[in-house]
Amino acid sequence: MTHTRTKNVLTVLIVLAALVVLPYLLTEVQLNMAIEIAFFSLFAVSYNLLLGYGGVLSFGHAAYFGTGAYFMVFALKYVAGMPILPAVLVSGVAAGLTAAIVGFFCVRLGGSYFALLTLAFNQLIYAIALKWRSLTGGDDGIGLDKHDMYLPFVGNLDTMSTFTVYYLTVIIVLISLWLIRFFLKTPYGNTVACVKDNEERAAFIGYNVFRSKLVLFTMAGFFAGIAGALFAFFEEFVSLDSINMAMSTEVLFMAFIGGTGSFLGPVLGAAVFIYFTEWVSDITEHWEFFLGVLFVLLILYANRGIIGLIPEKIKNFWSPRSASAGER
Amino acid sequence: MEAYAVQAVHGVVYGMLLFLVTSGLTLVFGMMGVLNMAHAAFYMVGAYFTYSLVQWTGSFWLCLLLAPIGVGIIGAFVERVLLRKVHTFGHAHELMLTFGIFYILAEVVKWIWGTYPLTVVAPDVLNGSVPFLSATYPTYRLFILLVSVIVLFILAFIMQKTRIGIIVRAAVFDNEMVDILGVNVQLVFLGVFSIGSALAGLAGVVAAPFLSTYPGMGLEILVDAFVVIVIGGFGSVWGALLAALMIGELQSFGIMLIPELALVFQFLLMAIVLVWRPQGLFGESA
Repeated sequence: MTHTRTKNVLTVLIVLAALVVLPYLLTEVQLNMAIEIAFFSLFAVSYNLLLGYGGVLSFGHAAYFGTGAYFMVFALKYVAGMPILPAVLVSGVAAGLTAAIVGFFCVRLGGSYFALLTLAFNQLIYAIALKWRSLTGGDDGIGLDKHDMYLPFVGNLDTMSTFTVYYLTVIIVLISLWLIRFFLKTPYGNTVACVKDNEERAAFIGYNVFRSKLVLFTMAGFFAGIAGALFAFFEEFVSLDSINMAMSTEVLFMAFIGGTGSFLGPVLGAAVFIYFTEWVSDITEHWEFFLGVLFVLLILYANRGIIGLIPEKIKNFWSPRSASAGER
Repeated sequence: MEAYAVQAVHGVVYGMLLFLVTSGLTLVFGMMGVLNMAHAAFYMVGAYFTYSLVQWTGSFWLCLLLAPIGVGIIGAFVERVLLRKVHTFGHAHELMLTFGIFYILAEVVKWIWGTYPLTVVAPDVLNGSVPFLSATYPTYRLFILLVSVIVLFILAFIMQKTRIGIIVRAAVFDNEMVDILGVNVQLVFLGVFSIGSALAGLAGVVAAPFLSTYPGMGLEILVDAFVVIVIGGFGSVWGALLAALMIGELQSFGIMLIPELALVFQFLLMAIVLVWRPQGLFGESA
């Protein structure tokens, strides 16, 4: 076991080192793509809390991503001298609260009901963002006022530099991912998996199924909001694109393409998605068609996603016992 | 007062169109337990077929027959070749698959017909208006009403009075038992799914001259149809009828009285129903 542990620690260190030096190796365009992959990874992982860990299919996750993005803009715009990091946190909390309210209606109903309710609420929140022009700018969108960021011991950071945005995004994403993973390993996090496997039995043992689902939904919303805030910070502009159905679709594609059965599957999915869309949209303007075909093919022939296609031998390097089933 | 009467009729017309779309969806859901998201795409394809068929043949009446058949064939293909394959993976996969098909069809439509809204012109007979109170009312809207009511009666007749209807109703209740009794349930599924798709196609034909034909029309009606299903209760045709009429009126009067909030009202109604009766007005409690 200690041998495995050493390998895992080494892997983490290598990945961290790679993330640190990455900006010095990439071109400006590639670096921007890396930032996108980073915050979409967090978005996809938060989505997978629902699809992979909760076993429910949401068609409305952009509602929280978008709420986070808009609140990032509001926080920096309306609160004088608002520091960057608390603004990100405020965005996450706003999205989490929205998710808690929507979740109150959605999570008590499972299956198809859940899917269509999340879609309906997404449309409702979209409609609010569209109609409340004075606040959100309606379909014109709204710009983000960036200012310098002060960090203790480090000093002022120039937030216009892509390097700063990259490091900030990657650090926040890594911390968030670690928090999510930490939560899933706690006893309370385990009840979530238990509810997914057999809801009746979980209720019978004495777990509060409704509350456990609501907590999961709220958490998924919170981290989607953090991802949205990072998106707003990167784009310096937020429009209805961040909150519409297409965004909800994309996150489903990312999570599923990567693989919903493992924690890091959606991260892989986000990377593949960003590269795939970039690559195919260069070749044809009908890239969405090919994306849909890829999605359907995966459903039919590889429903554990791309990560499910990786041979067990490679995965066994990190955890000798069944990597996909035991280690989630 | 008269403005209200006209608005009320508008509401009934849109409500019945919505019912036409939802009826196929509830039928499939009640029977197979599959919430078919591709339904909205079938509706859209029905409208686009109408556009092209009117261009080639010049007859809108022919579309009422041919477009639903075309869409029904697509539906049969989807059920037989794709949906049946993922049935064993569980409902989330079925949902995702129908969503994937929705996504692909929406792109195919853009590919073939472009992204600009297209206009389908109704036949001259339906283009005029008829006297209504002291003013007039567009004939085409009454035609929508007529088609929806005819479909409603045919559906009700088949479901209540024929042997096929009995089998379908029995399969909704317990399809394993029906299978054991010697009915080919797979075939019934195929049939119901195709007819459900054809109904979506028919709704598309009827909607084409009324609402504009554009790539976003599927998603727009999908959300309304979902709200109808939630309010009416899953799998209930009568629930769908009542809920569709409610949404029709709500939108109609909402746009007239408080246009800014019209979009929000139906979601509000949905939230109220969910709190008060989670299974929907006509749904059986789970």
